[in-house]
Order: sequence, then structure tokens, then C-alpha cells
Amino acid sequence: MTEVLAERAYQAPATPEAIDELHTELDRIWEVASFVPELDQMAFTTAVIESASNIVQHGVAVAGGELRLGVTLTVMASVLQARISEIGAVPSPELPSASLPDDDQESGRGLALIEALMTTITVELRGETKTWVLSREIETPA
Amino acid sequence: MRFSTEQKDSYTEVSGTGRLNMVAAPKLREVVGEVVSAGNKRIVLNMLATEFIDSSGLGALIGCLKMARQAGGDLRIACVQPQVKMVLELTSMNRVLTPHATAEGAFSND
Repeated sequence: MTEVLAERAYQAPATPEAIDELHTELDRIWEVASFVPELDQMAFTTAVIESASNIVQHGVAVAGGELRLGVTLTVMASVLQARISEIGAVPSPELPSASLPDDDQESGRGLALIEALMTTITVELRGETKTWVLSREIETPA
Repeated sequence: MRFSTEQKDSYTEVSGTGRLNMVAAPKLREVVGEVVSAGNKRIVLNMLATEFIDSSGLGALIGCLKMARQAGGDLRIACVQPQVKMVLELTSMNRVLTPHATAEGAFSND
């Protein structure tokens, strides 16, 4: 059940343009892994883009360095997994709030959305790289 | 993402084609800001060709809604696709931005 059926990797400077490119990578993985139900594709894509956008918006590069976004997408028979890394960032162990803000607030819904869409979320901190590991169990395994 | 604006009899229709993410969110605010500045207060955002939204896009929608309401009008959304519907429901924003089946019907009960 843990055999890798499709995998894609992406790395680029953490800029808004990277988010559109990453979305295209996600579209490509679904072309290969078309057996994954549409709801799971949709949920996974949303959480990955949300998490990567968070890095682009809030990540701070170490002095004199460049902040990079690194993503690995893995499709297994019953699990979808993404490793989303903030590379070359000033370490910040704090996590954003996972609760929904008031209705008129224009930001602060990202993590709540990721939590609602994923089965497990873990964060790994290694020096100047913070990696979000997002997993979603496929609802009707292939 | 591409936006187009069309003046209808009783409202202004803004249509967005593509992904409403952190790249497109500022553009939506700009487009709706121009519509409101021009004196159009009743706006329907036609999302038939908006294939994706994230929390940045949602933030822009709320910002645009506030702009329209501060001007004494309103902004309504129509023709939402499954991913947009999912994000609205998971964040409970469907209470504030209720999707309408058609753009024409968005203000029809007023």
C-alpha cells in the first residue's frame, strides 16, 4: 500500500510566481494519477497551495541568502503526501493559528483549511529548513 | 488569472477566469475597486471559470465585499465550481458569501 505510484518534485525561489508553477505541477501529477478521486485531488491541491503560499508570504530569508520553496508530491495507493520545505529561512518554530478568524477578517484561514483537508500534518525543523509534511488518506483506495 | 467586467441593467458583472490565488487576489481587489470607484455598487462576481480559490483569494473576496458594502451596495457570487464551494463551506464563509446559481439571479430577490 506504500508503493509510490507517482511522484513530482519542484524547487524555486519562494516568489508568488512559484505558486502558479507549483499548481501546474499538481495538475500534471493528476494526469498520471487519474485514479485518485476528484475530491481527494481537490483537497490535496488546495492544502499544498495553501501551505506553499504561507511560505511565500511569511518566510524570511537568512541574511544575504535566498528563500526557496521545495516541494515533493507523492501518490501512493491509499495516501497522498506532500513535503513542503521552506529552505534558507530564519528559523521560526511558531505555527500560525489553526482557528478560524471573524467573518470580516481578510486573512488567517490558511491553517484551518489545511487541517480540515489533511489526515495528518507534521512539521520538521532542521537548521534553516522547515518542512511541512501533509498526508491525506484516499477515501476509496484504488 | 484574467478578469472582465460587464455592465448589466441592474448590476455590474465581474468574471474571473483561472485560479484565484495569492497572485490573482490583488488583481481582483483592483478590478472591483475600480468598479466601485466608478459608482457601481451592485456587483456580481461570476465564478463559472474560476477553477480554484485559496485563503488569499477568499481574503480578496471579503475585501471586495467590504468595499461594495461601504459604498452602500453589495457583492454577490454566482456559478461557483466544486473546489470553490468546498473552500467556502470549510471556512464557513458560505454564510457571508452565499453562492447563487446564476449571475442574473444574484440580485433578483431584492
